[in-house]
Amino acid sequence: MSDDKNEKKVHGIVAEYTSVDTLLDACRRVRDAGYTKTDAYTPFAVHGIDKALGIKPTVLPWIVLGGGLAGLATALAMQIWMNGINYPYIISGKPYISLPAFMPVAFELTVLFASFGAFFGMWALNGLPRFSNPIFTDPRFDRVTDDRFFLYIDAKDKSFNQAGAEKLLRDTETEYINTVVDDDTSTVIPKFLITTLITVIALSFIPLLVVARMRVTTSSQPRFHIFPDMDFSPARDAQQTTSLFADNRAMRPDVPGTVARGELEEDLDYLTGIDMESLTRLDADRAKQLVRTYAQAENGEPENSDATPKTDAPAEEKSVMDTTPWLKNNPVEITKDVVLKGQEQFNIYCATCHGRDGRGNGLVNQRAQQIMASSWIPPSSMHQESLYAEQYPDGKLFNTISNGIRKMPGYAGQIKSKDRWSIVAYVRALQQSQNASLDDVPKDQQAELKAKKADVEKALAEQAEAERKKEEERAAKAAEKE
Amino acid sequence: MSLAIPNGLDNTVERPGERAPLVLGDTTYHDITEAVCQVAERPPGRGWIFGFLVAFALLNWLGICIAYLIYTGVGVWGNQAPVFWGWPIVNFVFWVGIGHAGTLISAILFLFRQEWRTSINRAAEAMTIFAVACAGTFPGIHVGRAWLAFWLAPYPSLNLWMWPQFRSPLLWDVFAVSTYGTVSLLFWYMGMVPDLATFRDRSKNKWRRMAYGILALGWTGSSRHWMRYEKAYALLAALAAPLVLSVHTIVSFDFAVSQVPGWHTTIFPPYFVAGAIFSGFAMVLTLMVPARTMLGLEKLITIRHLENMCKIILATGSIVGLAYGTEFFIAWYGQVPEEQFAFLNRALGPYWWAYLTMVSCNVLSPQLFWFRKFRTTPWLIVLVCIFVNIGMWFERFVIVVTSLSRDYLPSAWSYFHPTWVDWSMLIGSFGLFFTLFLLFCKLMPVINMAETKSTLAKQLHMKHNDEH
Ligand code: HEC
Repeated sequence: MSDDKNEKKVHGIVAEYTSVDTLLDACRRVRDAGYTKTDAYTPFAVHGIDKALGIKPTVLPWIVLGGGLAGLATALAMQIWMNGINYPYIISGKPYISLPAFMPVAFELTVLFASFGAFFGMWALNGLPRFSNPIFTDPRFDRVTDDRFFLYIDAKDKSFNQAGAEKLLRDTETEYINTVVDDDTSTVIPKFLITTLITVIALSFIPLLVVARMRVTTSSQPRFHIFPDMDFSPARDAQQTTSLFADNRAMRPDVPGTVARGELEEDLDYLTGIDMESLTRLDADRAKQLVRTYAQAENGEPENSDATPKTDAPAEEKSVMDTTPWLKNNPVEITKDVVLKGQEQFNIYCATCHGRDGRGNGLVNQRAQQIMASSWIPPSSMHQESLYAEQYPDGKLFNTISNGIRKMPGYAGQIKSKDRWSIVAYVRALQQSQNASLDDVPKDQQAELKAKKADVEKALAEQAEAERKKEEERAAKAAEKE
Repeated sequence: MSLAIPNGLDNTVERPGERAPLVLGDTTYHDITEAVCQVAERPPGRGWIFGFLVAFALLNWLGICIAYLIYTGVGVWGNQAPVFWGWPIVNFVFWVGIGHAGTLISAILFLFRQEWRTSINRAAEAMTIFAVACAGTFPGIHVGRAWLAFWLAPYPSLNLWMWPQFRSPLLWDVFAVSTYGTVSLLFWYMGMVPDLATFRDRSKNKWRRMAYGILALGWTGSSRHWMRYEKAYALLAALAAPLVLSVHTIVSFDFAVSQVPGWHTTIFPPYFVAGAIFSGFAMVLTLMVPARTMLGLEKLITIRHLENMCKIILATGSIVGLAYGTEFFIAWYGQVPEEQFAFLNRALGPYWWAYLTMVSCNVLSPQLFWFRKFRTTPWLIVLVCIFVNIGMWFERFVIVVTSLSRDYLPSAWSYFHPTWVDWSMLIGSFGLFFTLFLLFCKLMPVINMAETKSTLAKQLHMKHNDEH
C-alpha cells in the first residue's frame, strides 16, 4: 500500500489464499464480522462458499422456465398458424392442426429457448461480458484462474473502513493483502482498429445499396442469375442451331418412313399434286417410282425422294417440271373456310418472304435489301402471268409449296397437305384480287360497291377541292402582302 | 491413508470402500494448469503439423467436390432410382450419431454425478460440435439447390408465399439437429469460459491476451458468478440430456415414419439412440487415446477413463446387437410379407457383405471388451473402436440402401453404385472433422481445467479428512 495508490479511488481490499480450506475459513470470519458486499474469487467452483459468504440463491431457474414456456408457445403458435391457418393443406390425411405431429418441433424449441434462457440469463445476471474490472489491477490476481483463491471486501460496504477490514483479513491465513484501486490503463481503442472497423462497415453497405437500388429500378437487361435455377430451358427454338445433329438444325424434319397424324392419305394425286393417271400413261417408270416412294414411306422404310420433281438445277428443271402432268384443279372443295384457312397459313408461312400481298416484299426481303445480302434472290411476286392458273396449274403450285423451288425451301415438313391445298386456293384468290374488275364481283354486291366507289370518289374530289381553295387563299394572301 | 498407487499409474483396480483417484500422481492445481496449457502454448509439433496438413488437404478436397456438385447437380452422386437417399444421408446419420457422445458425456454423466467425465468432456463436446458440422453439411447439399437450403427455415418468404410442412419428419430433423448444434455449442463455450480466462491470464503476447480476453468475457472467478454459472450448467445439462436423446430419435423418424419396409418399425428410436451413443463413444476413444499420449495428458485422462468408456461401448454395442435381433423377430412375428422379405434381403440379399461387416464390427468386436486386457490396453481399444466406427457407418448404409434398393416395386429394383464424388465426400468430411479438431487442440483448452481442479479439490479434501 504505497502512497501513490492512495490518490486513486479505493474499490476494496483483496487477500490471497492458497487453499480452499483457508479461504472458507476467512470467508466465514468476514461474514461474521457483518460484511455483505464481499466476494471470493476462485479457480473453480468451491462448494459451500455461498453459505460461507452468505450468497443468496439465483433466480436463473425461473428465467429458464420462462424461456422454455416461451419456446413451447412460440413453436405451437408458429405451427398452428403456418400449417393450420395461414396456409392450410392436408398431409397424410392428418387434420390441419395435428398436435401430435407438432410435438417434435415444440419440444426442440422448448429446449432451445430454455437453453438460451440459461446461457444468456446467466451472463446477464453475472454482468458479463465486462472487460474492464478494477480487480484486474491487482498484480497477483492473474493466478485466480490458476491455483490461488482471493477474498475481496468492497469499499461500498456499509461497515467498510480500510484499517478495520485490513486487520480482519490479516488475522486470516493470508500472506498477501492489497488495496484494489481504479484501473487507469487506457481504455481507448487503437485508432487503426476504429478506422478498419469503419471502413469495413462502410464497405459492407455497398452491396446492400446495390441490391436496394436494383430492387427499385427497372432494367432492359435480362435478370442477373447467380444460379440459373432452371430458368433457362435447354430446349432449342425452331430457328436455332444445335450441335446435336449433323445438319445443325434444331427443328427436326419428319423421321424418314413416318407419317404425321392426319397425313395418311391413299390418294397420290392429293399428296403430290400430280395427275397420276396421266403420268402412268406418259412415263410409267416415274409413276411406279412415285408409288413406291410413298408406299415405302408408309411401310416405314426411308423415303426416296428422287421421284419428286424438286431440283436445284434449272436446266434439268425445265424438262421435269414441264413434262409433269400437274393437277389442273385443286382437289379440295373450295369454301370460304378453306380460303380463310389458306390466308391464315399464307400469312404465317409465306408472307415473311412474299409479303402479305404476295408481291414479294416480305420482311425477310426488306431486311435482305437493307443489309444488301449479296446471295439474296428476291422472292417471286405471285402476280405475274407465269404464275397464273393457266400457265401454273394448281398441282404445280402445290408442289412448289411442298418441295420448294430453286432457292425457296419446301414446306411439306411444316404444313399439312390439306393446308397446303388451302394455301393454293388462297394464292389464287390473291392473284384474282389484284386483277379484278367490277364484273368479278357478285351482281347483288355491285351496286353497293359502286355506291362505295362513288362515295370515295366524291370524298376525294371534295378533298382536292378544299386543297385547291386553301392554295388559292394562300396565294391571295401572299399577293396582298406584297 | 495415502493415495500412492501401488502399480504405477494403474487406477483401474477397484478397492472396496474407496474411490479410485481420477487425477493421478502428486498433482497440484498448478500442475493441471500447466499440463493443459502447455498443449496450446507449445509450438505445434511435427505430428500436429503433418496431421493438420493432411486433414486440411482433405477438407479442401471436400470443398472442391461440393463446388463441383453445386455447379453440376446431384447427378454426380450415385443416387439413382430407386435409391435417392444414398451416401449423403448415410454420412449424415453416421456423423450425427457420432455427435451424440459429447453431449451425452457432458450432460447425462454430469447429472449422474460421474466425476470421471471431467477430463474428457471438453474434447468430447468439441467432437460433438465438429461431428454435427460434418453432419449438417450433407443434408444441406443433398437438397439439390444448396443455395436455397434456407427455404427449410420458417420465414415469410416473398418467393414462395408458403410455409414449411411441419408434419414432416424431415422438418423435425432440421429443428432437432440445429437445436442440438446450437445448444451443444452454447454448452461447450460456456464450459470453456473459465478456462479461456486461464489462457488469458497466462498469455504473454498482447494480441493473444486480447483474443482470449474477449472470448473469456471478463471472467474473474467470482463466487457469485460461479454460483450462477454452476446453476446454468446444471440446467443446461438437464435440458441437453433429453435433447440428446431426442435428436437421434427424430433422425430415426425420418425412416420410421415412412412406409418403406425395413424402415417402418417402432424400434427405431431407441435403437438409433443406442447406436449413436455407441458410435460416439467409439469415436471419442479413437481420438482420445492417441491424443492423450501426443499431448502428454496421461495423468488426467487415465486408463480408468478409457476403461469406463469401453464399458459403455460394450453395453450399447450389446443393445445394438439385441436390436438387430429384435428386428428380425418382429419381421417374423408381424407376418407382413414385405417386411419379412426386407429383412431376409438385408442379411442374405445382394448387400449381404455390408450386413456381415455391420454385424461383425458392431456386435462381435465390442464383445472383446469383456476382457480386461482389451479395456486397458490403449492400442487394442483403438483397434476395436475403429472397427466399431466402420461397423456403424455400414449400419446406416445397410438401413438406407438395402431398404430403398428393393421395396414394393420389383421392376424398379436396382443395385446402388457410389461414384468417386461419394467417396471423396465421405473422406473429405473426415478432413473437415479433423481440421476442426486439430485446431481445437492447439487453440482451446482441451481439458476442463476448472472442473478437474474441483475434482482434485475433493480428492484432497478426502485425503485431508482421512489424515485426521
Ligand atoms: C424463305 C422465304 C420464302 C418463303 C417463306 C416462301 N417463299 Fe416462295 N419463294 C421464295 C423465293 C426466294 C422464290 C424465288 C426462287 C428462285 O427464283 O430461286 C420463291 C418462289 C416462289 C414461287 C414461284 C415459283 C416458281 O416456279 O417461280 C411461288 C409460287 C412461291 N414462292 C410460293 C410460296 C408460297 C405459297 C409460300 C408459303 C407456303 C412461299 N412461297 C414461302 C422465298 C420464299
